[in-house]
Amino acid sequence: MSTYINMDTLRFILFDVMGAEKMLELPRFQEFDKESINFLLDAVKDFSDKDLYPAFREMDEDPARYEDGKIIVHPVIEKLMKQTAELGLIGGGFDFEHGGMQMPAMVLQAANFIMEAANNNVPGYPGLTAGSAHLIATFGTEELTQTYVPRMMTGEWAGTMCLTEPQAGSSLSDVTTSASPTEEGHYMIKGQKIFISGGDHEYSENFVHLVLARIDGAPAGTKGISLFVVPKHRPTADGGLEFNDVVTAGDFQKMGQRGYCTTHLMFGSDDNSRGWLVGEPHRGLKYMFQMMNEARIAVGRGGVSVATAAYHASLQYAHERAQGRRINNDGSKNVSADQNLIIEHPDVRRMLLKQKAISEGALSLIFQASLYHDLTSGNEGAEKEKNHLLLEMLTPVAKTYPSEKGKESVDAGLQVLGGYGFCSEYILQQYYRDIRIMSIYEGTTGIQSMDLLGRKIPLGGGKGLKLLQADIQASIEAAMAYDELKPYAKVLIEKLGIVQKVLGFLMPFAMKGEHERYLSDATLFMDLFGTIIVAWQWLKMATTAKQALVSGATTFTADFYQSKIHTMRFFYKYELGEVDSLANTLMHPDVLTILGEEEIIV
Amino acid sequence: MKILVCISHVPDTTTKVQFEADGLSLNKTGVTFVINPYDEYGLSRALDFKEKEGKSVSITVISVGGREVEPTLRKALAIGADDAVRVDKAALDAHQVAQEIAEYADPREFDIIFMGKESIDFNGGLVPGLVAEKLGWPFVSFATQMELEGEKDVILHREVDGGFEVVESSLPLVVSCQKGIAEWRIPNMRGIMAARKKPLSVVSGVDAEARTTTLSFTYPPAKGNTMYIDAEQPEKLIDVLADKGII
Repeated sequence: MSTYINMDTLRFILFDVMGAEKMLELPRFQEFDKESINFLLDAVKDFSDKDLYPAFREMDEDPARYEDGKIIVHPVIEKLMKQTAELGLIGGGFDFEHGGMQMPAMVLQAANFIMEAANNNVPGYPGLTAGSAHLIATFGTEELTQTYVPRMMTGEWAGTMCLTEPQAGSSLSDVTTSASPTEEGHYMIKGQKIFISGGDHEYSENFVHLVLARIDGAPAGTKGISLFVVPKHRPTADGGLEFNDVVTAGDFQKMGQRGYCTTHLMFGSDDNSRGWLVGEPHRGLKYMFQMMNEARIAVGRGGVSVATAAYHASLQYAHERAQGRRINNDGSKNVSADQNLIIEHPDVRRMLLKQKAISEGALSLIFQASLYHDLTSGNEGAEKEKNHLLLEMLTPVAKTYPSEKGKESVDAGLQVLGGYGFCSEYILQQYYRDIRIMSIYEGTTGIQSMDLLGRKIPLGGGKGLKLLQADIQASIEAAMAYDELKPYAKVLIEKLGIVQKVLGFLMPFAMKGEHERYLSDATLFMDLFGTIIVAWQWLKMATTAKQALVSGATTFTADFYQSKIHTMRFFYKYELGEVDSLANTLMHPDVLTILGEEEIIV
Repeated sequence: MKILVCISHVPDTTTKVQFEADGLSLNKTGVTFVINPYDEYGLSRALDFKEKEGKSVSITVISVGGREVEPTLRKALAIGADDAVRVDKAALDAHQVAQEIAEYADPREFDIIFMGKESIDFNGGLVPGLVAEKLGWPFVSFATQMELEGEKDVILHREVDGGFEVVESSLPLVVSCQKGIAEWRIPNMRGIMAARKKPLSVVSGVDAEARTTTLSFTYPPAKGNTMYIDAEQPEKLIDVLADKGII
């Protein structure tokens, strides 16, 4: 079997860089220790090796589809739902009072990362079930929770999030699915939802859809949207199930993630679809954001996972493929010698290092966001508030950097294989197609970038940004203790100064009310900001590796630690350097993308 | 029924093997250790018995080694064993390990002792037979199938050249296991959490003697570069093999 992940790197980031063991000292997580987490990760790896990776290619070649009114998916989904439930990956993160185990978010991310690197078609099925069950448990009534959550936690019933409609994609204020109140307390739901991931298949007994809809007479815009539980089959008083008028109208055929069904659902075609309000009326989008924020980090993790698997596929190929000969110092080549392995050629090494730098840097970013998540749920008072702000700051970056840079990374990986990379016989083309969705799912890169610049940077009067800078500063000071790392710490200080300079240029537009101008290049700002954040992660990893080398730690080999420091240096030379060019563009006086009086894109 | 499952603490199969400067011991830096996969077949078969027979079956796992083997024993507990025993002696050779296991098992009236057909580090395959001999029990090697016949007999299938042999034995007995006897199990989260509270006892052992001493290890020859040949050009393969003097 091919390698798709390096468990040592995962454990290094989780325990050594992020200090997961220290986080486990918080009362909320005291049921867990390093050993139990390692057992869980080993179990997930075994399951992924045995069942998920072997199905990866099959799911692409025999994709999810709509036939005779049914959605057909790969049979591994049946085992997936059962096994992930038993491994605690559906309800393990919930509070004890909701039947969960209060498993740390970092552990759940690590487990899902392994599964997703093995087969990125699959974690969405249990992941959406976990997210929707968590929403019901957090905001729903006790009755709703008792009716749905236990069977979702066992994987018997699946969950989905239903936001998008044909006319309302990124613009949720235009949702038109209606909810009419009845005297019995439930609502009658009518409308259609598209792009519903994991929305229907034969391996779950029931589907519990979390649907955004407007109660009759609700205000226009996002402030009139409510959240409803709308099951495919509604539970009856005698313990049975009856059809709830939720019809699957089709499955979208996609260029990637072809084993992950993407359904079109019709609610109330026969005026018999019942929905139950979650929480208060008109607050649905606020509730849904709990799930969306979790889902956004999960999508970022998806980008990391695909990029990681692609890196290992390229690396393996580069170690096996002999082609050409190294150039001697006098410019000649010894054509009578055996060909060199391609990993010996500088340009191939550059591409592999790019893959490694992006995928491991992005993985560290995902765990940084998850650490803030755990420090939020595991603390109270000021500490909770602080970490919540930090999580809010990082969420759009954790979604976007791995999605966008992951594409570049996989592209470099495909290039490593040359012509074979373009051939269906090799797996790189599948990763190339699969990762493309990540910058679209759960709010496109454009939406995330406007969220970062428009909402998160000004959050709390800039408090979130200051807190983040303080954490980065602490990492810089730790790196300064080592002569080898000092130059890189200084570069990071310089790049942080560029962020301030760019914001100093842009902010006046917002203050003058020119918001469209302020946000017009938000995606470039995201690119700049995300790259600096990942440079911070690399400095942390290099510092941890250096500390291990100096102290003679034997958890991992010296080569492993040196590889982290080397890759940090690569990131600072080849990736972080691009920040200067982005800053120049962001501060360029020409305004070229805002619609003027006459259309010039013709 | 009481079952003892012997667990070897071995490097993961993906380990890049490197020796210490003396050339006699494995450099353990960065090495992940796992339950010997063949032993895990034995553990899985024991759990199959337990699931079928319920609480009347108890499963003890045992390993000979220092504290470093405890995570491996804990993992066996997470998979479903009831209790674990560590014999606090460095594992030196097959005879010494077998003697320690036999001395532990002898007074405790186990019905079955399961272990792998070999461990994946040294591949000696000696311990199961030695344990059976020291206990004076029947021994069935390379078992691929095992079913109870009444309360005190078992029918086993064992792999032989070109096929299978079916044998009958009485209990107690020692069985060395290989693929086919059971499916490996993946621990669930509740099992993992429960493992923290299951008993893991440490016994001092009997100071059994090793009868062999390792003098040296050598690495296998390095692999050559891989050459890809287009499937549409089989004649090129012939040329390459001829050039290398293979044909």
